[in-house]
Amino acid sequence: MKAEPPAPPAARAPGHAALLRADRIVKRFGGVVALDGVSFDLAEGEIHALCGENGAGKSTLIKVLGGLYPVDSYEGTLLVDGAPARFRSVRDAEAAGIAVIHQELALVDEMTVAENVFLGDEPRRGPFVDADRMVLEAERLFARFRIDIDVRSPVGALGIGRRQLVEIVKALRKSSRVLVLDEPTAALANHEISVLLEILRDLRKRGIASIYISHKLGEVLSLADRVTVLRDGRSVATMAAKDATEDLIIRHMVGREIRDLFPRRRSHPGAPLLRVEGLDVSASPAGPLVLRGVSFEVRAGEVVGIGGLMGAGRTELVMHLFGAWGFRRAGHVHVGDRSLDAPTPRAAMAAGMVLVSEDRKRFGLVLDRSVGFNLSLSVVGRYAPAGLIDEAREQTSIRPLFDGLRVKARDLEARVGDLSGGNQQKVVLGKALIVGPKVVLLDEPTRGIDVGAKVDVYELVNRLTSEGKAVVLVSSELPELTHMSDRIIVLHEGAVSGVFDAAGATPERILAAAMGYPADRVPTAAHPPHAS
Amino acid sequence: MQGRLSARDFSMLIALAAIVAFFTIRAPAFLGPRNLSMLVIELSITAVLALGMLLVIVPGEIDLSVGSGVGLTGGVACVLVFEHGWSSPAAMAVALVLGVVVWLGMGALIVRQKVPSFIITLGGLLVFKGLHWLVIRSATVPTVSGGGTNLYSLLTTYYLPANAGLAIVVLVVVAMAWSQVASRRRRAALGLRTEDGEFALMKLVVTAQALLLFVLVTNRYRGLPLTAVILGVVAWGTSVLLQKTPFGRHLYAIGGNPEAALVSGIAVDRTVILAFGIMGAIVALTGLLETAYAGASTTTVGSLMELDAVAACVIGGTSLRGGRGTVLGVMFGALIMATLLNGMTLLAVAPEIKFIARGAVLAVAVWMDVRLSRAR
Repeated sequence: MKAEPPAPPAARAPGHAALLRADRIVKRFGGVVALDGVSFDLAEGEIHALCGENGAGKSTLIKVLGGLYPVDSYEGTLLVDGAPARFRSVRDAEAAGIAVIHQELALVDEMTVAENVFLGDEPRRGPFVDADRMVLEAERLFARFRIDIDVRSPVGALGIGRRQLVEIVKALRKSSRVLVLDEPTAALANHEISVLLEILRDLRKRGIASIYISHKLGEVLSLADRVTVLRDGRSVATMAAKDATEDLIIRHMVGREIRDLFPRRRSHPGAPLLRVEGLDVSASPAGPLVLRGVSFEVRAGEVVGIGGLMGAGRTELVMHLFGAWGFRRAGHVHVGDRSLDAPTPRAAMAAGMVLVSEDRKRFGLVLDRSVGFNLSLSVVGRYAPAGLIDEAREQTSIRPLFDGLRVKARDLEARVGDLSGGNQQKVVLGKALIVGPKVVLLDEPTRGIDVGAKVDVYELVNRLTSEGKAVVLVSSELPELTHMSDRIIVLHEGAVSGVFDAAGATPERILAAAMGYPADRVPTAAHPPHAS
Repeated sequence: MQGRLSARDFSMLIALAAIVAFFTIRAPAFLGPRNLSMLVIELSITAVLALGMLLVIVPGEIDLSVGSGVGLTGGVACVLVFEHGWSSPAAMAVALVLGVVVWLGMGALIVRQKVPSFIITLGGLLVFKGLHWLVIRSATVPTVSGGGTNLYSLLTTYYLPANAGLAIVVLVVVAMAWSQVASRRRRAALGLRTEDGEFALMKLVVTAQALLLFVLVTNRYRGLPLTAVILGVVAWGTSVLLQKTPFGRHLYAIGGNPEAALVSGIAVDRTVILAFGIMGAIVALTGLLETAYAGASTTTVGSLMELDAVAACVIGGTSLRGGRGTVLGVMFGALIMATLLNGMTLLAVAPEIKFIARGAVLAVAVWMDVRLSRAR
């Protein structure tokens, strides 16, 4: 599929003027282009859905619209009611009537619903908060939007769905004309979703427009008036929802040229090194399951990719396998012939499994310390057979790793926090490999690093498999996933929703599985079907 | 080992020089042999406790109970010797074991039950103070009966003969030179950066001169105090522990990034509990030194010592958030705190003013630290 130029809106909601228009927005982070000329408009009283893969630019776009990125940090213009708008802060955007409800809700659990709704703008009587009037006004507000909630109960006592409603009312109180919702239904149960959708439809009748971001295409098509698809930072298509189909949207989301950046050399898989059977895991001992019945195995010399949307449980899966997250409610994990039934990172390492976390600053590195300190951290005991660290032994052990990974640092004593992202990532990889693992769990190993460093990481994956190690690769980048994996397991809401071998793994099929569509609903126009 | 002095080190040196100059002008006896000798003993006691505190702060914890712990362990030893007629080595051993056991227990509570160390040790501060007063029945219990001496009282009253002091200096300097040469050779063989040779030699010469000056000054009074030798051993031990052992590396990693330490397969719990265990031994040692110096256990022994220990760490550049701190820095911080207290006592400053001065110095030192590290 060829790349279209930034398209003007193809369909227009009839009879309405553009309330909000984004014109050729370009947003760069250093050398990375997050938005590459996005145009988009929102008519009065319209629900406009934004769709796109992870990293397509949806979140960046709404941060521009919501004033989180000030006016001079991007190129292009924003127009409100046809006049240029220059938002210097969230406050400016709110003054223009645009309220953004982010995925992470900004509510204070310990305060009541009423207190949260009026946070920072409490009704006063003299110097004191007028608590009675606050409750009264909050009740009136919720009644107006026909939401049944006790405004005196603390927000922490509410479920996630009700909190979402509180956040929406909080935004509407500031006389918003545009509501921007970022994946509002990702964490909601079905009945909560229908309540939310009903409220959005009701708001539309009152002339309040919404920008609605969701991966759930069924929801999008039933709710929205128009749909705009973003891909690689561009707006590739805008269509009326009544003319769109889920297949069409998915094809717009995926269709891109893929350069051959991926030097995967396959090797012959050997015996299974990692076996996962019927894993049920929750975040707290009695909490809802985050992973449900996950089973798979990884053989020596094999790369198994883990795909899925954000929040599908990919990171939770590898963190749990490594013993760093979650409570196991059922299931078994074996590394080689050792079972890991009460996993801790130490036990996982002892069994020959290592993790390279997606969040290298949080779980990977001690930033204030040197490259050498970090590389040898997991195994420093090996260099101290008599209690004192033998520096010579340590150096001769980590030096080849430092050179082999081509870490660009002055020397082993350079502070890790001063290195670039790609080089930090190489240190994290080296720190894991020095353990001498059989199974390597890689969680987004190329996130935020430049192309050269990415290829180094892929070469490393090849080296690992040629040495007979088993690799689990979690990635949000579909091309990386399809090209570097020998098999791909797709998670949807914590359960395996698809398993593909390398030949059958097309981006369309993976994306469809990630969105929870059964295999026979996969769009097949561009690719012949494969047995799977 | 870092190279040159940073702006921070430099400003601390100037601050110390200013304090010393002020006291010398106001009370010439400040630099007299007798007072300097006492200052050395006071510094040693403060610094030993502060070094223990360093081991707890580096992994990001805190211990507010050490002052009361000093009182309790010293009190137990005094009671055993004076009231029960125990031999002083046995009583000292009991105090040490008590310190280690109690602190291991607190460490376990903090780590395994996930109660913040601030709370557990705040509780310890009160509980140990009460136990201390119970043990000595709020009376004065001497460290030795009948005005004699024993091993216990000698901890702060024994002075090495002049020649022994000089011999120790020679031994220490030779050992330092030898380990420098060996480490340089090893590093060069491995193709690592070595410190500029001239600079290293200069550092060694300056250190040798300082040690020699130190011993000559103490020899003008009664010789090198045993207490100073104890400090030397504790400082050397702490430094080796932090810089040369996996345990020390793990402490810095836990303080720098606890989640990364856990994911790196470090036994975080065990490491932190062990740090508290060592702190317990140091608390008991300080308890023995402090009671020996005072000649008896009284209700005020150890009072507020936790604050001096934390202050010495912070003035010495230790980060209360964990992950950063050195033995040399803490020694320097202890020197500033001990000098301040000693000089004010010499000037017979009112206790009210003493508190205010100590608090002000601490606040100013940290404020300067924050400013200077922001400028960097």
